[in-house]
Amino acid sequence: MMKSKKFTKHLDTGMTYVILLLVAFVFFFPCLWLILASLSKSGSIYSFDGFFPKSFSMDTFKKLFTDTTMYNYPRWFRNTLFVATGSCLLGTFLTILTAYTMSRFEFRMRKPMMKATMVLGMFPSFMGMTAVYLLMTQFGLINQLWGLVLIYAAGAPMGYLTQKGFFDTIPKAIDEAAKIDGATNFQIFTKINLPLAKPMIVYTALTSFTWPWSDFILPKLLLKEKDLYTVAVGLMSLDETEFARFAAGSVFIALPIVILYFCLVKNMVNGIAAGAVKG
Amino acid sequence: MKNTMEKIKDFFRNATAPVKLSMLLMGAGHFRYGCFGKGLIYLGIEIAMILYLIRRGFNDILGFFTLGTVHADAWAGVEGDNSVVMLIMGIFAWIVVASFLYLYVQNIKGAYYMQYCSEHGIPKKTIKQELADLLDRKFYVLVLSLPVIGVCIFNVLPIIFMILIAFTNYGGSVVPPELVDWVGFDNFKKLMVLSKFGPTFVKILGWNLLWAVLSTTLNYFAGLGLALLLNKECVRGKAFWRAFPILAYAIPGFITLLAFKFMFSYGGPINQMIVGNGGVAIGFLDLDAKWSARLIGLLVNCWISVPSIMLLATGHLSNRDMSLYEAAKIDGAGPMAQFWKLTMPFMLFATMPVLLGQFIGNFNNFGIFYFLRGGLYMDGYFLASDTDLLINWLYNLSIDNNYYCIGAAISLIIFLITSVISLIVYVKSPSYREEDTFQ
Amino acid sequence: MRKKLVAMMLLACTVFTATACGNASDSASASESHSSTTGSALFTGELEKNVTIQVLENDTAISEGYFQELIDAFNEAYKDQGIQAVDANMDQYLDLANDGPYGYGPDVLYQANDVIMQYAEGKHILPLPAEDLDCYDQIPESAWEAYQTEVDGTTYTCGVPVNVQAPMLYYRKDLLPEDWETTWDEDSNGVPDMVESWSKMYEYSALRHTEDSSKYGYMKSLNDMYFSSGFLFSYGAYIFGENNTDPSDIGFAAGEAEKGAQVLSQLASVMNEDCIDDTITTNAYSKLGDGTYFATISTPDVYTTFLEELEKSYEEQGMTEDEAETLAEENLVMTSLPALPASGDLTDGTTETVDSMSMGGVNGYAISSYTEAPNACLEFVKFATSYDMIKTRAEMLGIAPAREDVAEEVGGTSKQIYENLDKGNIILMPSITEVSQIWTPGQTFFIDLAKDAYRPEAEKKYTDLASLKEGLTDMSNQIHEAITTLQ
Repeated sequence: MMKSKKFTKHLDTGMTYVILLLVAFVFFFPCLWLILASLSKSGSIYSFDGFFPKSFSMDTFKKLFTDTTMYNYPRWFRNTLFVATGSCLLGTFLTILTAYTMSRFEFRMRKPMMKATMVLGMFPSFMGMTAVYLLMTQFGLINQLWGLVLIYAAGAPMGYLTQKGFFDTIPKAIDEAAKIDGATNFQIFTKINLPLAKPMIVYTALTSFTWPWSDFILPKLLLKEKDLYTVAVGLMSLDETEFARFAAGSVFIALPIVILYFCLVKNMVNGIAAGAVKG
Repeated sequence: MKNTMEKIKDFFRNATAPVKLSMLLMGAGHFRYGCFGKGLIYLGIEIAMILYLIRRGFNDILGFFTLGTVHADAWAGVEGDNSVVMLIMGIFAWIVVASFLYLYVQNIKGAYYMQYCSEHGIPKKTIKQELADLLDRKFYVLVLSLPVIGVCIFNVLPIIFMILIAFTNYGGSVVPPELVDWVGFDNFKKLMVLSKFGPTFVKILGWNLLWAVLSTTLNYFAGLGLALLLNKECVRGKAFWRAFPILAYAIPGFITLLAFKFMFSYGGPINQMIVGNGGVAIGFLDLDAKWSARLIGLLVNCWISVPSIMLLATGHLSNRDMSLYEAAKIDGAGPMAQFWKLTMPFMLFATMPVLLGQFIGNFNNFGIFYFLRGGLYMDGYFLASDTDLLINWLYNLSIDNNYYCIGAAISLIIFLITSVISLIVYVKSPSYREEDTFQ
Repeated sequence: MRKKLVAMMLLACTVFTATACGNASDSASASESHSSTTGSALFTGELEKNVTIQVLENDTAISEGYFQELIDAFNEAYKDQGIQAVDANMDQYLDLANDGPYGYGPDVLYQANDVIMQYAEGKHILPLPAEDLDCYDQIPESAWEAYQTEVDGTTYTCGVPVNVQAPMLYYRKDLLPEDWETTWDEDSNGVPDMVESWSKMYEYSALRHTEDSSKYGYMKSLNDMYFSSGFLFSYGAYIFGENNTDPSDIGFAAGEAEKGAQVLSQLASVMNEDCIDDTITTNAYSKLGDGTYFATISTPDVYTTFLEELEKSYEEQGMTEDEAETLAEENLVMTSLPALPASGDLTDGTTETVDSMSMGGVNGYAISSYTEAPNACLEFVKFATSYDMIKTRAEMLGIAPAREDVAEEVGGTSKQIYENLDKGNIILMPSITEVSQIWTPGQTFFIDLAKDAYRPEAEKKYTDLASLKEGLTDMSNQIHEAITTLQ
């Protein structure tokens, strides 16, 4: 009896690792392909043997950062960083606040607002792009990086539902207790709920950083000058023969997000010590 | 209605002169009853509004109706009117007017209430108290005002714009500098009598629904499964394993899509290997490849979406009440029972909004088939291919073929259908109805 | 109460709309009587002082360094007048109609005639006093026509032709059979037969592939409408009726167009599946370079890209940079398209041929209507289309100039293209907006045609001329529907 239990446990562990390996492969392979393609010496994707290039060199990366007459990658990178960071800060702030309010406050417009955001999300967004463009021309925000930040941040609270779902699972009893102790709603939010919502904040920050980081429709629409391009738009404008450069640009664009993830992963997963709060 | 009428009558009977003056000069009532701060704000609002109306608001509203009267002619040096700009600024003006009217009513109500307070000896609130209130009882007003304004300008306004475009003749040869006109329901009539439109719409809608359901389920369970797998006690080096999906997450979607398109193309590595081993090249995504293209679309979408769902699920899993699990263990519940009785209900509750969001996102997933298999019009479809989703079809119509107004009309129809469906699902969902389940 | 309000607003709506209509037609008739001279009245000849003009050039001109040379020369010459030209630094495919009116477009732009003329429809670009330009007599009438539009009975010219774009055959001399002079030159004119006749090209492609299954002869993605439609034109097809101005008449199935489709499908059968999607379009540069392909077609402006790839491949074989360069220049040949068999069958051995026609375009400069300094812009266009600058352009970029004197001087391909344009073998892309609706239906048909060559025998759709004709008619109908159904 004990033995078979132990056996099942080992089998379970084994299976888990097999699946993990498989998953890792599925996710890693295309990335590896992209990374190796960026290191290809010939620069043309069609000279590969099967999936991978025959010879490697670091030239493409060097070219990516030094040859800036046509494609100013470093500049694009800075622009993207600015837009993504700006929208991340502002967007996360607005989203968390909205989600918290929608979760904790009872007011007349609450349910209608919840339904309205739900419905608004169903609208095919590109149909509204013309309008966004026209608005921005009227506000004089074309060719302005912070115009982009404004739009991304303003749109962010629309996705508050995920965060609201999280706040819904934090017991209200804590709030009640604090209220009895005389705390205002503002204090309850900053002192109690915010620390508890750390994993959610990190998640929100990560998503609201990634979205502008990889979006190209909006920047393409609003940024006319090549020097103001974000990396996504810039990469799309690359000539078709520049494949290695495209791959190198794509690899490098992924870097900040991976770094960000490793810095934040602890907060995200272990944000709430199991049981400590609930008890 | 009757109640309101009564109230208004009451108001005219009882209100003092300064309160009535508030109707003309905003803030007058507040000044009378000693609330200068608020009074000044109201007065400022009225002045700003009048200035706005004079400077452009009035013309904007007029422009909303006319959509321009002077035809621009750059060759003759006539600057002319830009109909679409007039339309959008017109909508903007309406929004300004609406918010002003709201404040106007608040101003009168406020003044009337202050009169009531002073007559009944209720101590009035100081401005300081009111501000403090914003951090407490009315915290939500303070918090929501900014997002609401942002969403109104950058989300609601464009949507209203597109809805209104469905009632104009904008598109084709009627683009600025040509003047756009209101045409009422003409676009919808056109769609009704068109025999081509119906079959394509039904076919695409069917596939679109199937796609949304399939890909949502697939992504959701794959993401949740992955999160649970990584959450297992026996897994060492969780951060390491979790990094692989994150890598996929870090690469922008359009790059992934282009890469996958290349992999499955005739000259791509997969076909190279097939041919290299003596096989015949397979057209994974070509003209005849209806179902294989759809399947690849599903899997690629899964590859792109699973990491973010996994991240989210991980966050939620850490929020579980572990004491329940301890109790379950003591009661002798196995891991399967724990999953179905504890984990699933909790996750479904916590992530129902995500599920819905995913559904909407997938329903309107433009990129997948645009990048993987764009540029085909199939037999039996009107300006679309058999993998196109409604949003791709809309794009073909409105951008590739310049039928903005028709595109807008169709998107309005789709919008009505889908929003009703999702609204019903949402309102019936436990996370909407029983928000307190897991309190 | 509320209902009444709505009703009133609706009424107001209709009244306003009605007046809007009235006014619109008034102003239209007012402008009719206005313009009567060619060239905008803005061109007074008085140069604006101290202005910067933004010039949008194409990416190749920028990356090859020509554009820098051009603006440097211009700025030097006009330093005294205080006119400065700068790179607009915008996307080469930007949409002036969308950006210009709001002040975000360039002042001078270089683009293809179909794009420029679409701007002319909305009057986003200025009519130019073409006859006053130095280059007027040097540029053939047909090239000017590509930039002409008729408004209220007056003909306006809205752009200045710079170069002609037409598909050219690229092939590698060193990949010809060693004894081609005896075996592949029946007419002994010193030109290999396979680059003179599609039938021979077909034969050689088949041969090359049988000898070594990893090598191919002529390769080109068929899904590219721009290149594939030329085969249809050669047998009597056309795009729009009335000299490409009547979108209600779609002519892709006209004449004996099915013969062209048959030629395409025969050519597809000696390629591989890569011709179904755009694989060959993107890999032709490197595959021609490494010798996998013998020939392909493309436009003249990518000559340098082909050359660089070939050099790279030579260098990999161990040659020095200089050797590789000389050899590549010698072996990479760009020439006009081979002749087609009159019978429409590459395999029947008949010798009667017809000229290959192709879809082409004229690229040129136009001036935005939204510029602040039209005269300075015109001065720039004059400067950029002068003999010297066009010559430099042709030398640096390998383009085929629209100026006769430069074409003569440069010789070679430029002259061939120039002659083809003169002969009417280059069908210029239509200048009406409806042209944007031909691409997807056309592309779908050509994909289907290419795919058909690789379908199992029993599933083939296009087995004879009649079925091809039907396919072409379907495609024309589809375009027709796309254009008219929702109008």
